Amino acid sequence: MKHRVVITGLGLCTQLGRSVDEFWRNLLAGHSGISRISLFDTSSLPVRIGGEVKNFRPDELLGEFPEAKSEKDRKIWLGLDAAASALADSQLPGDGFQHTPLFVGVSLETFFLEDATPIAHAPDAAWNFARQVLKQEPRRRLQTPLDRLTQILGDHYGLNRGRYTNCSACAAGAQVIGEAFRRIRDGTAAVTLAGATDSTLNPLALGGFSLLQILSTENDQPEKACRPFDATRQGTVLAEGAAFVVMETLEHAQQRRARIYAEVLGYGSSLDAYRVTDPEPNGRGAALSMAKAIADAGLTPDNIDCVNAHGTGTPKNDVAETLAIKQTLGARAKVIPVTANKSMTGHMIATSGVMEAIASAMTLHTRKIPPTINLSCPDSRCDLDYVAGGSRDFEGRTVLSNSFGFGGQNATLIFGRFDS
Amino acid sequence: MRTRVVITGIGMVTPLGKNPLEILRGIETGRSAVAPPTHFDATPFSCQVCAEIRDFQPQPYVAEGKMIRLMNRDAQLAVAAAHLALADAGVKPGGTYAPEEIALFGATGLAGLPLAEVIPLVKASTGPDGQFDPGRFGQAGLRAVSPILSFKILSNMPLCFVSICENIQGPNSIYTPWEGQGSQAVEAAIRALECGDACCALAGGCDVKTHELAFLSLEQHGLFASWQQNHAGMAPGEGAVFLVLETADRAAARGARAYARVSGFSLCTHQQGSKRADTCVKVLESLNLPHKPLGALVAADNGDVSAGEDEQQALSALQITAPTVVHPKKQAGDLFAAAAGLQIGLAALLVERGGGRVLANCFGHGSEQAAFVLEKP
Repeated sequence: MKHRVVITGLGLCTQLGRSVDEFWRNLLAGHSGISRISLFDTSSLPVRIGGEVKNFRPDELLGEFPEAKSEKDRKIWLGLDAAASALADSQLPGDGFQHTPLFVGVSLETFFLEDATPIAHAPDAAWNFARQVLKQEPRRRLQTPLDRLTQILGDHYGLNRGRYTNCSACAAGAQVIGEAFRRIRDGTAAVTLAGATDSTLNPLALGGFSLLQILSTENDQPEKACRPFDATRQGTVLAEGAAFVVMETLEHAQQRRARIYAEVLGYGSSLDAYRVTDPEPNGRGAALSMAKAIADAGLTPDNIDCVNAHGTGTPKNDVAETLAIKQTLGARAKVIPVTANKSMTGHMIATSGVMEAIASAMTLHTRKIPPTINLSCPDSRCDLDYVAGGSRDFEGRTVLSNSFGFGGQNATLIFGRFDS
Repeated sequence: MRTRVVITGIGMVTPLGKNPLEILRGIETGRSAVAPPTHFDATPFSCQVCAEIRDFQPQPYVAEGKMIRLMNRDAQLAVAAAHLALADAGVKPGGTYAPEEIALFGATGLAGLPLAEVIPLVKASTGPDGQFDPGRFGQAGLRAVSPILSFKILSNMPLCFVSICENIQGPNSIYTPWEGQGSQAVEAAIRALECGDACCALAGGCDVKTHELAFLSLEQHGLFASWQQNHAGMAPGEGAVFLVLETADRAAARGARAYARVSGFSLCTHQQGSKRADTCVKVLESLNLPHKPLGALVAADNGDVSAGEDEQQALSALQITAPTVVHPKKQAGDLFAAAAGLQIGLAALLVERGGGRVLANCFGHGSEQAAFVLEKP
């Protein structure tokens, strides 16, 4: 028996807000969360802007998560904040998670360059001493395993029915929702917590990505730097943030009279099998992912009413995604709205898929589509209706959300309006 | 299990070699790859041995040679093991199955960034006070960074390189960073086959824990504690193992040889504060094994004294015994994210050899613990 799956809890910690209301208000208003990075001195770097979560102080969460005291990886704290918000928003009883699986997406391990200085500068004779010092200082851990947030959340809330840490880069967020959705649909779980966290706003990640020349270097106008589908787009903008959702069976949600934001209808994933550096130029892998999700939902392309695009603002991605949407939806592609949230948030890598899932759920819940900002000069190869110029009313019943990962992993989710 | 899933291909690149049967024979005859590391001096660490692959060349497995420079060692090993598994199964993406009908699920460990690549940029980024200076990083440190460094840090790259080299386009995901996540990759493959999401699945993992940064991280995270307390413990290893899984019907229809059928599996989360041995009991209990005689056991014991005791306690508590017991991790090293593939692959070989029902314990670090039962197809 297939269960219907609904979203009953949302939590975010982003540059556009740390509550769903604030995030949604800013997204609909077309506010940009891109700004000059203040987390560290970027003055000598080619890229000095990002989607930073301002005024976020991990120590504010210490009261709730004292067990995380020694964690210095920022994305762990962002994740704790968002997950706690999602669980609170769901109003699930706090002691009922024993049978709840946990799915966490995350992409890039943070390497703490500042903690490697003792090794780098120790004369050969003193290397051993430097290593001894390092290994005895837990705060000087060079690497934090990517499952650290998963473990803290799992232990804190007693989520003991499987803990999954997915590292499928920019597709990780959509994949964790898709995998959690399937567990509920097939009856393996009644409730799941799924989300993602990432922060690439550190020297090695920002510097490393800037060398790949996929980032916008328009440091003087941060709020205009990310321009998906615009002919003048230069590249994407890295960002940080976390987002989590609580999903459950419709029966479970109705039994406890939970607020339902939207229904999850389908999930698909695919691989480009092309290059790690570029998306497949014809959008073949992306189209496959969309087609699989539509089939998984038991729908046809004509049932898709809106697309929440991956829309990174890189020259190659936006064209490939447009081709993929047209290939998958046929004539329907030209008549439905397509929006790109990253124009305002920047690219939160693993978190993007979850943030966009939340935006899709809110689109269905509030009947409003957020705009694609900074789109004033459309690329002739990007010829869809990208919701430029402001938010739009929406009476459709489904939203398709795309996430395409660096390296060629693709994932697509389909959400439906839930009428109580 | 609702659908009969069989293993039709095994690809292994391990410190004990690349030929699965020879690896099994080596383990049974006591051959060990555990020795002091050859690339760095391990004397400052509590653990001073590891299991290295000494003679690996990626070129035969990567058609586009220039791609190799983008790969870290984890990815190179993964590509080789995946290729060997598909060849062993006789599966050609685009031939046997369409590329989009083949799923790919993997596991990988901590970012495999050799310290030697980091040191130059840290040196160039240090100020007169001996502290890391982001300003200097931009001016001088970044010049010491290879533009392709990101490809070596991103944890999903091994999976992507496998998909590119083998033209696999189907459902996918990759998990990280311990032994349990390798089991989750195999679980995902079984689920994909069960729900009809794929006709065939390639599942496994890769990991490299034989470099200095890995030793430093393992030491910092307390994984060498057994060496400090008992002068014995786990030897970090490196390798990649992938398995080809198909439904029994599809494998039979194409006349494929099936090594074994996955007749049961169990994954449990270790709860904070509980005894690890109790989690092992929980994993094994749900397999309902005491009433079914085992022909062989692939033990998870990696040399860590307390982990070995936990596994033994669980087996004793449930009166699980087997006439043949092998301990691959003690000889091939602990392959972490690739370990589950090795355990299950060896179990499949034991089944094919007439070993009857074989239990593969996939216990390890982190919270996720698993075991698989394999039988004749």
